[in-house]
Amino acid sequence: MRRSVVIVDDHAGFRTQARALLIAAGYEVAGEAGDGESGVRAARDLRPEVVLLDVQLPDITGFEVARRIHEDPDPPAIILISSRDATDYGGRIARSCARGFICKAELSAGALEAVLNGTGR
Amino acid sequence: MTRRRWALVLLGVAVAGWIIGGEWVSIHRDVPEDHLLDALLGLSFLGAGVAALDRRPGNAIGPLMIAVVVVGFFGNWGNLPVPLLPTLGLVSGALGTALLAHIALAYPGGRLRTAFERVVLSAFYATALGTSVVFALTWAPRSFGCPHGWCPWTPSLFPNQTASDMASWISDHAGIVLGPLFLAAIGLRWRRASRAERRSLTPLWVAVSMLAVVYVIGAFASRDPLSDPFAHLLWELGVVLQIGIPIVFAWGLLSSRLARSAVGDLVVELERPLPPGGLRSALSRTLGDPSLQVAYAIQGESRWVSAEGLPVSLPAQNAGSGPRRATVVEMDGEPVAALIHDPALDAGLVRAAGAAAGLAIANERLRAEVRAQLEEVRASRQRIVEAGDRERRRVERNLHDGAQQRLITLSLALGMLRDQPAADLAMRAALADACAELKQATAELREMARGIHPAILTEEGLPPAVESLAYRSTVPVRVKSDLSTRLPEPVEATAYFVISESLANVAKYAHASGVHVTITTRDGFLRLEVSDDGIGGADPGIGSGLLGLEDRVSAVGGTLRVASPRGGGTRVLAEIPVDA
Repeated sequence: MRRSVVIVDDHAGFRTQARALLIAAGYEVAGEAGDGESGVRAARDLRPEVVLLDVQLPDITGFEVARRIHEDPDPPAIILISSRDATDYGGRIARSCARGFICKAELSAGALEAVLNGTGR
Repeated sequence: MTRRRWALVLLGVAVAGWIIGGEWVSIHRDVPEDHLLDALLGLSFLGAGVAALDRRPGNAIGPLMIAVVVVGFFGNWGNLPVPLLPTLGLVSGALGTALLAHIALAYPGGRLRTAFERVVLSAFYATALGTSVVFALTWAPRSFGCPHGWCPWTPSLFPNQTASDMASWISDHAGIVLGPLFLAAIGLRWRRASRAERRSLTPLWVAVSMLAVVYVIGAFASRDPLSDPFAHLLWELGVVLQIGIPIVFAWGLLSSRLARSAVGDLVVELERPLPPGGLRSALSRTLGDPSLQVAYAIQGESRWVSAEGLPVSLPAQNAGSGPRRATVVEMDGEPVAALIHDPALDAGLVRAAGAAAGLAIANERLRAEVRAQLEEVRASRQRIVEAGDRERRRVERNLHDGAQQRLITLSLALGMLRDQPAADLAMRAALADACAELKQATAELREMARGIHPAILTEEGLPPAVESLAYRSTVPVRVKSDLSTRLPEPVEATAYFVISESLANVAKYAHASGVHVTITTRDGFLRLEVSDDGIGGADPGIGSGLLGLEDRVSAVGGTLRVASPRGGGTRVLAEIPVDA
């Protein structure tokens, strides 16, 4: 069965490209959100298996979104993404409830699989 | 009428009640005209005291005059058949003469000036208190018989005829010593006084000196003025003279002579070089207004600054209402300063003091102007730094939202093309090269954006930003921070650059195996310490970036210290005021 994904990112251009990439890699894109609050709602309503979550969002941070989604029963796997480097966030990514982190420029089917299978960061 | 005036009126009515009530209580005991004279004496002191409090707030003379009335009439209330009242009346009544001497010696400024004056006055108070307390404790009217058929209802703790006789003898004859001492103090004061002072003090001193003479004669006369007509005459003469003292004083207050004498003191005081803030305190003493402020005019601009060069706004000029009033001091038709004072102060006195201090004010104004300019330079330096920070944040944001996002999208699109199964080998290789180049460009751009301004600082504050610095540092860093709230942007940015530059220096020059970063807030200061265990020997003067840091820290009013003994590691310590 195809894994369902919700993309939370405030840049529409990135969302379009990520959607194409995910579909090509065999994922089902269940929905998109442009800010943190609607990202939390989308994750609760659509119950995807994976949430691709930008760290820098216009309203609340990706860390906060991840924390809220993770409080729900049977939460999805959360993968943080950012155009910045993981080191820009110090130890916060490791302390967050996300499954892993992918730098946006390095987003690919392989990177996604690696994180989801626990072999990536 | 202001609240202060109402309070004074209430005080006046209450003390007048004290006087008249006291006479009423004791009226059954003496001849009627003595009561009238007594009440008049009290009322004249009360009136003058209240007027003094009103016109010269902060001057001790007013309260002293009212105190004379309160203690003086306590004795009358002591005629009530209430235990302890007569004793208290006796002791407090004895203080009257000492208070009178106090007023005379402290007039007109309200303060004693020489050690001799203090010694003389202490002798007055000590004699009055000592003899009256001993007398009250040892005199037992019931066992020795009550004079004039009147017995106070006072329990006598240690009845002792010898002791009470001794106390009353000392009290009666103390004038033989105290009178001449007092006259000597007054004489010395006269010799030191300026012409203006002498003019304003003449009437008071004549009255007081005559009183002193009466007091000395009275000490030799019979101790019972009621049965000895000569002693009675002296006593009445003394009372009339005493009534004259407050009247003379009130007249002195209402005329401008007294003001001139106080201002005369000010002129003398201003001849000496003034310590910082000395002008304000000299004026404040002269005018008897501890809350007095001096605002200086900046030439050619219609604004006012404090002696420290900080902006001051003058209270509204409509007289009467506000809690403060401003009196502008002019020189050659130009405003140089404004005295901001209690509206109860005599306007003529304030103007006179301002005029007398003119030269000192003009000097102080120049200093204040320089300080104001320095303050302006400091503020503009801070604004420049802040504007720079703002611009850097904007550039970083634009890079992040614009070019960086486009490059990322482009890189994703190229990656997908590269992974198309339909593409031929040559195209795949070319696309893979392009992807790699693009990835490199994105990474460089990211690095550049971070160098321009760390977004995490704006978004998350200092501790996460420092944590990220520590994470990227090549030397192990331990961060300790007690910071729990966000600080103003200039403070955060300055602190971040201090730590980031210090860590960069450690990585480049220190050969250290570890760094400690400590961030604490205390007493309104953010305190940063970056210390390593490296080779030391860093010189803030030589292009180590430390000089730039120092400029940056002082632009927000902070200080930077570097201790870097050779072989002893380097310690960078910055203190930044949090309200910068």
